[in-house]
Amino acid sequence: MQFELRTQVIEPPRKTFQHLVDRYGDRPASRYEEGTIDVQATANFHYRPLWAPDKEIYDPSWTAFLLEDPYSFTDPRQFYYAPYVTSRSEMHEAFGSTLDYLEKRGLLDRLPDSWATLIQELVLPLRHYEAAAQMNCANGCRFGYGTSITQCLGYAAFDRIGNAQILSRAGISFGGGTAEPLDVAKRDWLEEGTLQPLRKLTEEMLVEKDWGVGFITLDITDQLLYGLFYNHLDEVALMGGAGSYSLLAQHLSGWFTDQRRWVDALYKAWIADPTHGPANAALLGQVADKALADALAAVRPIAARADELVGGGCTAALEATAASVRSALAAAGATLQEA
Amino acid sequence: MTTIPATERPVGVDIQESETNRAVIEAIEADNADCTVRHMPGLVRVQAPGRLVINAESVTARLGRDWETHEFQLAIISYFGHIKEWDDDEIVIAWDH
Repeated sequence: MQFELRTQVIEPPRKTFQHLVDRYGDRPASRYEEGTIDVQATANFHYRPLWAPDKEIYDPSWTAFLLEDPYSFTDPRQFYYAPYVTSRSEMHEAFGSTLDYLEKRGLLDRLPDSWATLIQELVLPLRHYEAAAQMNCANGCRFGYGTSITQCLGYAAFDRIGNAQILSRAGISFGGGTAEPLDVAKRDWLEEGTLQPLRKLTEEMLVEKDWGVGFITLDITDQLLYGLFYNHLDEVALMGGAGSYSLLAQHLSGWFTDQRRWVDALYKAWIADPTHGPANAALLGQVADKALADALAAVRPIAARADELVGGGCTAALEATAASVRSALAAAGATLQEA
Repeated sequence: MTTIPATERPVGVDIQESETNRAVIEAIEADNADCTVRHMPGLVRVQAPGRLVINAESVTARLGRDWETHEFQLAIISYFGHIKEWDDDEIVIAWDH
């Protein structure tokens, strides 16, 4: 007896949701697309906020940066909840094992004095900067329009709490299991002269009404701070016998590389928009000009103090980072004024 | 018996249909203009005359994370043709003769 094997293909009546079919054609959609595209509520809001009667509760005009189609921006990392959580838990596990290693060998106690001072005076207070960045991103997540954007901002907000936690854990380990260094760091953040310009800038970002402007300012400050602390000082640490600082810094610089991927894509989408592109490019240039000047003024005293402590040309590195941020933005198409 | 020249005899792969592999299939479709795709239950057969290229770069762009060519091992069920190249950046399937 012979059997004939045949495959029978059963076509599904629909491959995905109708709004995705309308947008991309009838093809199977990825989880990211299904969980992101057109999820933003756009109608039937009923009541306008009493405190801003000219706007709907979700309104594109909460920022001056507009996109004709908010979903022309998509996250290049394609993060929805599951891959985001998986990737971050790996990140924090990796950090945990680094910290374990440092603790087991008492490497943080063996840091050269100048580096211990640098961590206590300049790095640990940054956890308050991270906490403020969390609020900044959460604000963008609330007022942004289009799930592809607000989703990224929401995850960025979680990330910042994670970064603050990384710094706190490092601080506790640094204090031999006590929170003493963190208390000192908080006092420094509130009182130490070197940090006040940065705290002022950070707080000004928090009261910025336009989330786009607030977020760009944060991002540019990030680029200077992360460039200085987790890239440049990482190198200096390796040369200066403070390898354990470098072991910690790699986790934050790794995170920042990941963060840049979507922020750069967002800038690109703003500039490339068919209707609002030129206006966005001009505005981005204008905001970036101001943010760069402010951020440089805020980070310079910190770089100067780092130079005093460990040398390594931090101030020069900061100026170089600022110049490269400027040229990267100009290359992306933002119209910056100051040379 | 007439033989079809190696440049036209079809090569192809059967790829298991899954969320990650969809990006691989889309990348192959984009990079190989003359390929045909056949959906079967649970698997997708991609076939092209003579030569099929899988670019790590195009898969990475669609997947949203780095994709390494060795991950292709996990995606495929079967293939026909000869693996000419298996580098870090691309896989080429073609007939030798």
